[in-house]
Amino acid sequence: MNNPFALLSLIVALPFLGMLFVLTAKDSEDTPGRNAFNVCIFTVIANITLIWRVFMVINEKSSKLQLLEKFNWLSTPDINIMFGVDTFSLLLILAIHISILIGLVGVRPNRHKQKTLMVLTLLFLSTITGFFVAADIFSFYIFFEAMLVPLFMVIGMFGEVKRKGPVFRFFLYNFIGALLLFSATMLIYRQYGSITLLQLRQLAQEGQIGAYIYIAIGLAFLSRIPIWPFHYWISSISSAIKNPLCFIIMVQIPLTALYGCIRFIPVHFSINLGSYLTIISIIGAITMFFIALIGFINKDTQYKVFAYITVYYIMYLLGILTNDDVVLRNIGYSLFSFIITISSLEVLSSYIRHKEQEIDSLSNGFLCRVRRLSFAYSFMTMAAVGLPVSAVFVNNFLIISKLISQNLELGLIIVFALIIAGITLLQELSRLKTDDSRCQLGRNDDISFSVFCFMLFIMFMLLMSFIKPLWFVINE
Amino acid sequence: MLQNWFILLPELTFATFLPVAWLINHYRETKTAKTFYTLSKFFLLFALLFTIIFYNKSVWPTIWENSRYTTLFKVSVYLVAFVWFYLSSKWFLNKNRSSYVFYNSAIYSLLLFGILLSARNLLVPTICVPLLCILTVVLVMQRWDTEKVYQVVKLYGAFALLSVILLWVGCLILKKDIGNLSYSGIQEFLSQTPSVKISTYIAVTLVLSSLLFMCGAAPFHFWYTEIIGVAILPVCGFITLIPPFVYLSCLISLMTGAFSPLVEDLRPLLLSFAFVSMGFGAISANGQTHIRRLFAYSSVYNFGLMLLGIISFSSISVVGGFVHTIIYVMAMAGIYTSFLGLKSKGEYLCEISSINGLSEVKPYISTATVLFMISLIGVPPLLGFWGRLSLINTLVTEERWLDAGLFFIALIFMTNAFLRVIRSIYFEPLQNSFDRTDKSIYICLFINLVLVLISIFNPAYLLHDAQIVLSGVN
Repeated sequence: MNNPFALLSLIVALPFLGMLFVLTAKDSEDTPGRNAFNVCIFTVIANITLIWRVFMVINEKSSKLQLLEKFNWLSTPDINIMFGVDTFSLLLILAIHISILIGLVGVRPNRHKQKTLMVLTLLFLSTITGFFVAADIFSFYIFFEAMLVPLFMVIGMFGEVKRKGPVFRFFLYNFIGALLLFSATMLIYRQYGSITLLQLRQLAQEGQIGAYIYIAIGLAFLSRIPIWPFHYWISSISSAIKNPLCFIIMVQIPLTALYGCIRFIPVHFSINLGSYLTIISIIGAITMFFIALIGFINKDTQYKVFAYITVYYIMYLLGILTNDDVVLRNIGYSLFSFIITISSLEVLSSYIRHKEQEIDSLSNGFLCRVRRLSFAYSFMTMAAVGLPVSAVFVNNFLIISKLISQNLELGLIIVFALIIAGITLLQELSRLKTDDSRCQLGRNDDISFSVFCFMLFIMFMLLMSFIKPLWFVINE
Repeated sequence: MLQNWFILLPELTFATFLPVAWLINHYRETKTAKTFYTLSKFFLLFALLFTIIFYNKSVWPTIWENSRYTTLFKVSVYLVAFVWFYLSSKWFLNKNRSSYVFYNSAIYSLLLFGILLSARNLLVPTICVPLLCILTVVLVMQRWDTEKVYQVVKLYGAFALLSVILLWVGCLILKKDIGNLSYSGIQEFLSQTPSVKISTYIAVTLVLSSLLFMCGAAPFHFWYTEIIGVAILPVCGFITLIPPFVYLSCLISLMTGAFSPLVEDLRPLLLSFAFVSMGFGAISANGQTHIRRLFAYSSVYNFGLMLLGIISFSSISVVGGFVHTIIYVMAMAGIYTSFLGLKSKGEYLCEISSINGLSEVKPYISTATVLFMISLIGVPPLLGFWGRLSLINTLVTEERWLDAGLFFIALIFMTNAFLRVIRSIYFEPLQNSFDRTDKSIYICLFINLVLVLISIFNPAYLLHDAQIVLSGVN
C-alpha cells in the first residue's frame, strides 16, 4: 500500500458508515426522516471533501492508477481486493457525489420513508464509489454487481413506477449482465490470475475463450446503456420514475457501463474486435438518432430529459470506442459537467412537475413568473444543450471532431442527433417561458432562497469547469 | 475398557437424554416448553464438548471412526442444532405446546447423525437410515390438526421404506460381490479389480440413490417439500438446517473412502442428480405461493449446487462444497429465524401474499430476510457470493463449461423466485396486522447478520481450519 491513510478505502467506507448512522437516527413525529436526511447530507459533503483531498494527492497528468491499496481477501481462490484511482475515475466519483447531493436537495420536502431512502442512497453511493476505485478485475466485478441491490430497492420503493413488472425485469437483466461479467472475470482469472485493470488492457484475448470473454463483457456493459436492443426496458423505467433522487441514481447506471468499457477495451485490439466495435458504433448512432427523435415528439417532460441523457451517453460510448487517450480525457471532463447538469435539470423539472400536481395546473409559462427558478432552469438548459457555460462545450467539440474525422457519415448522424436532443430541451424551455393564462402558478411558487443559493453554487462550478476542468485542484 | 466408555461419551450423552426427559415429563409438575429446551441444551453442549475432546478417538475404527474431518462436520451440526433448539423453544412457548417429543426426536436424530458422520462401514447407514426415517415421521406427526399430515406421512413412509430396501439390497449385493462392507475394504477391492461387475455398479447406484433420497435431491425431493408444507416450523427448520451437513459429509466419505475408484464412472449419475435438483428446485420455486415451500425448493436447488461442486471429489471441490453448505445453512437459519417473527393473530404466516407490506411494520425482519435471500443467490459482497465463487472456481478449474452455463440459468430462475418474495415484502401494500416479535428473534437475526458481514470481510477466520482439514480428505 503506497497510500498511508488508505484514503480510497475511506471514501468507499464513509457512505457505508454514514448509512449505519442513518439507521440509528431517531425520527421525530413533526419532521419524520429529517435527522436521517441531515446525516445523509453531512456524509455526502464529508466524502466530497475527502475526494477533493485525494485530488490534491494524486498526479493529475498520469494515466496510471494511483494510491494503490491492496487487501488479501481469499486464499482459495487466491483473490485480493485492490483500489486505485486516476483523474478520470476520481472526476466521475466527485460528479456522482455532487449529483446525489443535488438529488437530496430535490427530495428534501419528502416525508414518506425518508430514512429508508437515505439508507439505500448511501449504500448505493458506497458501492458505486467502490466500483470507480476498483483497480483489479474482482473488485471491479464485486462492486459492479453489488450496486444492483440498492438500485433495485430505490427504484422499486421510491421511483413511483406504477407497473412493477419493468422494475423486476430491470433487475433480472442487470443481474444477467453481471453474471456474464462474472463468467468473463473467472475466465480471465483462470488464465492470468487476479490481475489489475491496467494489466488487463494490455492483454489481447485470443481464441474461442477470448471471443467469449469479449462478448460477455460487451453484453454486460451494453445492457446498462440504452442502446438497441436494450433501450426499451431502460427507457420504460427511467421515463416512469418521478422521484428526482431515484432518477439521478438510475442515470448513473449507463455511466458505470461507459467506465467499464474504458477499463476493459484493450489498448491494442485485434481486427475482429475492431469490426465488432464498428458495428456497435453504427447501432449506437442509429439508436441515438431515433431516441432523439422520439424525445422531440414525446410530450412527457421526463422522457425528454431521458432522451437527452441517452443521446449524450451513446455519444460518450462512441467516443470511448475510438480508443484515443485525448478523447478519453475530454470525455472525463465533459462527463463531470454533464452529470451535474442533468441532475440539476432533473431536480428543477421535478420541482415544476410537483407544483403542477400540487395546484393541478398547467406549467406553461411558469418560468415567466418565478425569477430564481427561471434563471436556474435556463442556465442548466443552456449548459445541457452545449452552450459555452460548462466543460461540456469544449470537450464535446473535441469528441465530436474525433468522431467525424474517423467516419464522416456516422459523425454527421451523431451531430444531427445531438442537435435534435438540444432542441428537445429548448422546446421544453420555450414552453415554460411562453406565458399562458391557463397557468395558475405564481410568484410564491418559486424555489426557496437556500435552494437558489445552492443552484448558484452549482452554476459557479459549471462555469469554472468551462474555464479550467480541474479548477478546484490545488497542487501540493 | 473404561477408556472406550469415555470415547463413547458424546453418544452416551445423547442416549441418556430420553430417560432423563421421560423422568422429568412424568414426575415434574411444572413443565413448560422451555424445560425440555434447557435439558436438551445441556445435553447438546456436553455432547459437543466430548466430541471435541475425543475428536480422534474411536472404539471400533473399522466401523465407526472419529477424525478431524468428522469432528468438523459434527461440530457444525451441533452448533446449528443448538441455535435452532433455542429458536424452536420460542415457537413452543408461543403455541403453549409440549416440546417433549420434538426435543427427544431431535436429540436422537443428532445421535444417529453423529454416528452416520463417523461411519466407515456400510453397516452403519443400513441401521441409521431406517431409524432416521422413523424419527422424521415422529417429527412430522408433531402436527396432527390437519388431514394433510397423514397423507404426507403415508407418502413419505412408503418411499422411505423403498429407499431403505434399496439401501439394503445395494449393501447385500456389495457384500456378495466384495465380501466386505467396510469403506477401506470396498476401496481396496475396487482399485484392484480391473473390470468391475455390473452388479457392483448397480449396488453402488442403489446405495447412492438411497442417500440422495435422504438428502431430498430431485427427483426424490417431493417428500421434503411436502413435509415442509405441512410440518410445524421447528421441524421444518430442523430438517432444513441439519441434514445437509450430514449427508454431504456421508457422500464425501463414501465417494472418497469406498467408491473412489469409481468416481469417474459415477460422475454422470451424480451430475444428472445435480442438474435435476438444480433445475427442478429453481423452476418449481417460481410456482409456489407457500413461502416455506418456496424455500424448500430453494434448498433442493442448493443441494444440486453442492453436488455439482463436489462431484470431482478433489480437495478444491470438497472445500468448495463445504463452503457452499456452511453459507447455505447460515442464510437458511436466518430465513427460518425470520419466519418465527412472521405472526399474525398468533398464527405463523405461510403464504407469500400474507406478508405483503411487511417492511412497513417490521423493517428489520424485512431487511434481514432480503439480505439472506440476496446472500443465497450469491450477490457480492454478501457471504453467499463466496459460495458462488467457490463453485464457479471449481467448475472453471475443471473446465466444466456446460455445468457452469446450466448453473447460471438455474440461478436466474432462483433469483426470479426470490424477487417475488421481495416484491411482496417491499412493494406491495400492507394487508395483515403482525404480532409483536420476540426480542430474541431480533438478537439471533442480528448475530447471524454480523456473522455474515464479518465472514465476508475476513473469510479466513471462519474457514481457515476447515480448509486445512478438508484439503486432506483425499
